[in-house]
Amino acid sequence: MNNPGSRAAPAPAAAGAARRWIGPLIGVALLLYLPVLLTDRSMFGVRLSNMQLLNLGLTQINLMLIAILGALSLTYLTGVAGLISIGHAAFYAVGAMAGAAAGTQWGWPFPLVLVVAALAGGLAGAVAGLPSLRVRGLYFVLSTLAVHYIAIFLITEYQLKFFDVVGIPLKPASLAGFELNTPMRWYFFLLPVVALVYWGLHNSMRTREGRALMAMRDHELAATSAGIDVRILRLKAFAFSSAIAAMAGALFSTLMTNVTAEFFNIDFAIQFIAMIIIGGMGSLRGAVIGAAVWLLLPTIITGFANQAGDSAGIVGRLFLDNKPQLVNLVFGILVILLLLFAPGGIAGIGAQLRERLGGGRQR
Amino acid sequence: MSEVLLGIDRLAVSYARKGLALENVSLTVEQGGIVALLGANGAGKSTLIRAITGLLSLHGGAVAAGRIDFAGQPILGLPSHRLVRLGMAQVPEGRLVFKQLTVEENLQVGASILPRRAVRERMDAVYTLFPQLLERRSRAAGWLSGGEQQMLALGRALVAAPRLLLVDELSLGLAPLIVQAIYKQLRVVGDTLGTSMLIVEQNARLALEFAATAYVLDRGRVVLSGPAAEVAASALVRESYLGARRASARTDSAGRDQVRV
Repeated sequence: MNNPGSRAAPAPAAAGAARRWIGPLIGVALLLYLPVLLTDRSMFGVRLSNMQLLNLGLTQINLMLIAILGALSLTYLTGVAGLISIGHAAFYAVGAMAGAAAGTQWGWPFPLVLVVAALAGGLAGAVAGLPSLRVRGLYFVLSTLAVHYIAIFLITEYQLKFFDVVGIPLKPASLAGFELNTPMRWYFFLLPVVALVYWGLHNSMRTREGRALMAMRDHELAATSAGIDVRILRLKAFAFSSAIAAMAGALFSTLMTNVTAEFFNIDFAIQFIAMIIIGGMGSLRGAVIGAAVWLLLPTIITGFANQAGDSAGIVGRLFLDNKPQLVNLVFGILVILLLLFAPGGIAGIGAQLRERLGGGRQR
Repeated sequence: MSEVLLGIDRLAVSYARKGLALENVSLTVEQGGIVALLGANGAGKSTLIRAITGLLSLHGGAVAAGRIDFAGQPILGLPSHRLVRLGMAQVPEGRLVFKQLTVEENLQVGASILPRRAVRERMDAVYTLFPQLLERRSRAAGWLSGGEQQMLALGRALVAAPRLLLVDELSLGLAPLIVQAIYKQLRVVGDTLGTSMLIVEQNARLALEFAATAYVLDRGRVVLSGPAAEVAASALVRESYLGARRASARTDSAGRDQVRV
């Protein structure tokens, strides 16, 4: 495809292919340029003000990339497989602790640490998914809440036994001698990881298992009568999703260099639910958008509040004094508006418009 | 000569706190046979289907006595998805298509149990059977009409090349013309592939025309069985299901039949 000379494609098809590839190519170029922009804080030699860069820094972008992994894992579980989990922070914590154990205690190299974290998360997920064999709907959601508290309790005990109240220090990450010690290096490590996970999940929906998952979400009984063993499928989905979340947890704690079990509280879990609701339930693109909005919008709002505060006036003072409240207010309103007018989230708005304008959904 | 594919022997089923729903029910579907199961609401048709497909426990029922054999092996207690792999395809009542998946994806889900290289061929066979599905292949199933959804539900069951097809209330809520068209295609399936069928149908006239054998259930018992023509000619069926009036016209049942047909 990207080598048109090798294929005897007719000219119009080649032009179509070019048009199809131009968008992604521009996107990749922008993603490659973004870290340079945010590090140099200037464009073509012109210095940009903080607000022209929307008050963003590269570390925030890195945290966003990790959050995207978390949101993707939850979207896979909730949006694709139809299982709702409010215990995803626990899998983050499992990944963080497994990473700390493998990296700090045993001194294993970083890539192996990630693998250990994913395996530990997958195992924890399979165990946590067991209630799904017996209970459905709201009861299952509550069982994930119970799993959350049990996991956090165990991890806290582990942390206190082997480490410190202050938390677990994680070894700085390095890939074959290449230290991930600057935001720029982290960015170029995380970007392919996120792309790979996204691509993998995207393709998995077009496999037998992926379709079986969506069939199960649509109608469990009908899926059973199509020969699908929904119980095994549920466990697999749960383990798979948890493995991704745990890997994100290991990445997160390594990036933060220090991690405590208390950090992964229920709020932490709920933010992922918020992300996939804002972005659009069941769509991978929605998970990316939701994570981006959730991670970046607060900074942007705070930046504007600062600027408004500089220009004085009563409103400005109000903004400046209540920045966290302002962020909460904006998010609250955003969620309500989306639920009312765009149940498909931000990613669904496009499809909604298309539907309004012209006929049914063609996929 | 013809082998028994599905054999139900003196089956009794009870629901918790409700007593027996089926009593001493025996039924046979031969290899290549087409059997209709008739009965009023509450006669036990759905219970029988649930017992065959292993979904009884889901509805709080349990087999109290008797046995069910499929393809020469006892199947009581086997989970539903295992039965599908044995060659028993189910078309559940109410056209349970996967609304958010496309037509093609629905069929692919049905083909999950096939070896990968056989999938394309089987799907093409279904598209040949129901050309409307081919036209709509990339459309989400939720956007199809009721008739098309029923075709899709049938196609999803047939794509796995089953030995026995269980069809529950196919005509429910569909226009008569569409129902007839679907039955015509089912006839083709039976003739070309030799698929055995067990049809549960409210529309007795249609079912008796379609099937070779018929069983009539009433209050959990088989009250009549035999070749469809004989069953159709019997006084019981003519009066209760086909709407022939007796001299002392029972208006209530006649009124109901008019709604059905």
